[in-house]
Amino acid sequence: MNIKKYLDFRLLGLTGSILLIISQFLSWFSNQSLIYIYVVTTSVAIEDSFLYLFPLISGIICLVGTGLIVYKIDYRINSVIINFVGLGFFLIFIFKIVTEEFIYLPTAQIGFYFSIIGSILIFFDILNILMIKES
Amino acid sequence: MGHGLRRKIINIIGENKFTSFTYLKKELKVSTGTIYHHLDTLSHLIEQRDDKKYYLTELGGHAYNSLKDNITTIITPDFSKKEFSSPILKGLMRLTPKKYINYESNQMIYTIIISITIALIGAIFCGLNGLFPFFLFFGQSELEFIEPILQVILAIIFIGNIFFFFLINEGICRIIYKKKENTLKFLIAFPIILFPIDIYLVLHFILFSTGSLNLPAVRILDNVLVILFQVLSLWLLTYNLSVNKKLKIENSLIISLLIHYGGFSIILLLSI
Repeated sequence: MNIKKYLDFRLLGLTGSILLIISQFLSWFSNQSLIYIYVVTTSVAIEDSFLYLFPLISGIICLVGTGLIVYKIDYRINSVIINFVGLGFFLIFIFKIVTEEFIYLPTAQIGFYFSIIGSILIFFDILNILMIKES
Repeated sequence: MGHGLRRKIINIIGENKFTSFTYLKKELKVSTGTIYHHLDTLSHLIEQRDDKKYYLTELGGHAYNSLKDNITTIITPDFSKKEFSSPILKGLMRLTPKKYINYESNQMIYTIIISITIALIGAIFCGLNGLFPFFLFFGQSELEFIEPILQVILAIIFIGNIFFFFLINEGICRIIYKKKENTLKFLIAFPIILFPIDIYLVLHFILFSTGSLNLPAVRILDNVLVILFQVLSLWLLTYNLSVNKKLKIENSLIISLLIHYGGFSIILLLSI
């Protein structure tokens, strides 16, 4: 069966971006979502609270990037550059989470997994759009 | 380009960098109308500037190089695509030091000096910041005070990182894309891709030494800066691969992408 006939692989990026955005509102640790952690840390002003918004920012930027390629395939280099910036935000965030909260990772909840899957889908989307042969 | 006279015009301008109408008329020995007709036909390759002289456009430069190499079609490094007129890529191209990455052989010495300077500045500030470099990523030392000997080691690691980064790129070009040419030219221009990272390291050092990094807002700004400068460095790497290893822009981006995210995975594992 030719999967490509039934599925546009450019949708990988859109799905990944939406997963990243949704993950912001799902529970990550101890049934708390990132948006909740952001609100709490902002109110006590003791941490880099804005960092907890990075997955959301990353998702939105990647959504713009992948939306661009779905709109017009000719903009693929632009789309890749935008996705580079978008994924950069996620990498910074995940680097902080993994290094500082490493002991809690085994208890991570669905939001964490959604974001990881989302970023991997965006990565494969970038590879896919770069490998599309020019007509 | 199919017409002999047009090839002659391109060659005259290419050899002299620019030319006047009178000189063209003297060299070509044809009527004024004929010259104007061919100049009009070559309008995408030749431009007349404010001084009334004729110059080659970027595409014209590629046409001249192709003529010199006896190639009948214009070989361009992909950057003449319509997509490059978009604001993002136009901006990136403007920030790209094209002259130094895609340098002429008589300008090699300038590129060497610039590359060494960039490598040294990066090494010094990497040591002063106490950052452990890996490709375009940096691991932060947990120590409050970094001893001078550790700073020197980090500076040396920064230089080693440039060579390691280069070898990985060169290896991928050779293994996956079978591109073995221009290794020396690629190496000489390679440290230039770290120019944005140098700017980040200097800014980071200013923030670090003034104690501003203790402020949450400044820490966030520092994170955003590292993302933007990394993307710019990746773009310079892509450009370097395209012009010096003669890769398609898409393939250069694939290499940049694989190396960047591969590097991230490794530094993440090291940090744990």
